[in-house]
Amino acid sequence: MKIQAQIAMVLNLDKCIGCHTCSVTCKNVWTTRKGMEYAWFNNVETKPGQGYPTDWENQDKWKGGWVLDKSKLRPRMGNKAGIMKNIFSNPYLPQIDDYYEPFTFNYSILHSSAKFVTPPSARPHSMITGLPMEKIEKGPNWEDDLGGAFEERSKEKNFDDIDKEIYSKFENAFMMYLPRLCEHCLNPTCVAACPSGAIYKREDDGVVLIDQDRCRGWRQCVSACPYKKIYFNWKTKRSEKCTLCYPKIENGEPTICSETCVGRIRYIGVMLYDAEKIKESASSENPVDLYQSHLDIFLDPNNPEIIAEARKQGIPDNFIDAAQKSPVYKMAVEWKVAFPLHPEYRTLSMVWYTPPLSPIQEEVESGKLGFNGIIPDVDMLRIPVKYLANMFTAGDEKPVREALVKMLAMRAFMRGKTVENSEDEAVLSGTGLTAEMVEEMYRYMAIADYEDRFVIPVSHKEYAFDAFGDKAGCGFSDGEGCGSMESRLKNLFGGM
Amino acid sequence: MDNYINNLLFTYLPHIAMTLFWFGVITRIVKTSKSLQAESSQFLSKKGQRWGGNLFHYGIILVFIGHFMGLFTPEHFYHLFMTTATKKILAVIMGSVFGTAAVVGITILLVRRLKDQRIRINSSIADILLIALLLFEMGLGLISVAISAGSSVENYAALGEWAQKVITFQPDAGVVIAGHSLIYKLHIVTGLFIFMIFPYTKLMHMFVMPVAYFFRSGYQLVRRGFIKRPA
Repeated sequence: MKIQAQIAMVLNLDKCIGCHTCSVTCKNVWTTRKGMEYAWFNNVETKPGQGYPTDWENQDKWKGGWVLDKSKLRPRMGNKAGIMKNIFSNPYLPQIDDYYEPFTFNYSILHSSAKFVTPPSARPHSMITGLPMEKIEKGPNWEDDLGGAFEERSKEKNFDDIDKEIYSKFENAFMMYLPRLCEHCLNPTCVAACPSGAIYKREDDGVVLIDQDRCRGWRQCVSACPYKKIYFNWKTKRSEKCTLCYPKIENGEPTICSETCVGRIRYIGVMLYDAEKIKESASSENPVDLYQSHLDIFLDPNNPEIIAEARKQGIPDNFIDAAQKSPVYKMAVEWKVAFPLHPEYRTLSMVWYTPPLSPIQEEVESGKLGFNGIIPDVDMLRIPVKYLANMFTAGDEKPVREALVKMLAMRAFMRGKTVENSEDEAVLSGTGLTAEMVEEMYRYMAIADYEDRFVIPVSHKEYAFDAFGDKAGCGFSDGEGCGSMESRLKNLFGGM
Repeated sequence: MDNYINNLLFTYLPHIAMTLFWFGVITRIVKTSKSLQAESSQFLSKKGQRWGGNLFHYGIILVFIGHFMGLFTPEHFYHLFMTTATKKILAVIMGSVFGTAAVVGITILLVRRLKDQRIRINSSIADILLIALLLFEMGLGLISVAISAGSSVENYAALGEWAQKVITFQPDAGVVIAGHSLIYKLHIVTGLFIFMIFPYTKLMHMFVMPVAYFFRSGYQLVRRGFIKRPA
């Protein structure tokens, strides 16, 4: 057993209001530079929708993630030779138009133009060419709140085995928000596909980073990542990605997206796992088994044997402590209300999601059907369970259904307790929950105090290297060196 | 051609060029290895990039291997397998096939760079001049293949002899090709010029060709940090 620690995240989609605060704060911190205007290390998309970049979930097109080739794991793009032969032109590379052509407006004309009969208007200008654009074709959140035609939005992959026509009717429309960032996978395809060896996973906390000094811009990682969370900086011509705000994480602080989340939907905590089981877990024959095999590599941080072994292997005490208090462990392993995004990509992603509840259909309200005792039947929820399962469990509805039931039971139980002043444990029967667990779930998922959401151990960088050599350095240099004035004098909102 | 100039260009210039080349390459790698990269513009526009990029790169790599083998294989060595006449036919066929592929590829890339608005605006003058220079050199190369095809075997063999005399520091190297067509000579001088400016251009990306990828054990890379594991 090789015990490793990973800083993991859970997003409680039940509470996401799609406000994009996470995206905006992330952008302001990390990607307001030329070449990265189009890049959103964190973005929020409205589902159902094709997302950003368009149709990112379609791996037949982009070849992201892993496949089992004669029961051996290899990147879907190809083995090493297959990746290398495409190095002069990557056929699976998304274009900037698959994201959107970044634009700004020539606002200065509004106060500098001469007097005309008609008021002046600011036209959009491309931030790639600087030339005026006839029309803005796409943006980072083009399908916001079900914007656009159902026909286009429903081309997304999660609808593949669903009879989607009924959802085109206004009465049956449903939506949810899906904030996305780098998954900091246990089995990252981007790392595997980088021929330069510039991308690596940190052993201490599992953060996946691109070494900007070693990136040579071969751009295989962009297609290898099934979540399309590696962005090619078209100016420096190197790839960049979410850093999990590692400078903050190392100091025991949450990432900027989590810190600023107004809905308090994000949780960050430590997961202990057995690194030796990664390959076996990612190689499960049947994609439906991948969720369970992923759960199986996590280790119980409260088990004295695991604690002793972790100590022996050099895991610092504060990491073990944090793992015991980890909100991620509670939600993913103890309560099983959080799921990985698209486990069928075999990347063993470490940003997990609690599926959203949704309004129950009107039939239920009119009393016709759908009550399963006290809790409404999850099949009556507006968002089809199959759709959520396609997203979170490779199509297996059972775990998603159980999680939704738990969340509904928690609501019913806590409503009884706080409104009707009666602790009705009957609502919990069959859910696998006890009153005590529900109280704790309620504390974490509904109250969601800062201290409960973020349990992040301070790193022991002092053991990693002698920081004396870094004194008076330029710190974060945007990958453009210390002296780049352009990157120093940046516009707060990404303008040129 | 004037004897003095002929000697300067074909006996001494190769040494000067290679000295500058290796000096530049070594200093660039030692001083600014971080700046070596592929400089791909595929992300902004893929139109023409697939055909252009692949034809050019695969073509030029094979042409380069052809030059290397053709010029530097000693006569008594290749005579074990083939006659000089056979080698010439081989060189003409391979050279014209891969040379044409490379020329077609780089022409597509040049047109793309000039015509595509996004690429054009985000190109430096150096980007465009370099492609034009390579196209010029490769065009001369294709013409010299045609000249070789129509000239004597001795004429062809002299080229290898010249190259081998140069790398063995023979003072009479230039004399060997003194009577050759001006096209050959222009091809050689332009080639040497490319070698001289090579370290200061994006051509340096070939030194970071990631061959180490094949020797990486498995796929994943993990960097050690502060956790000290017992041995």
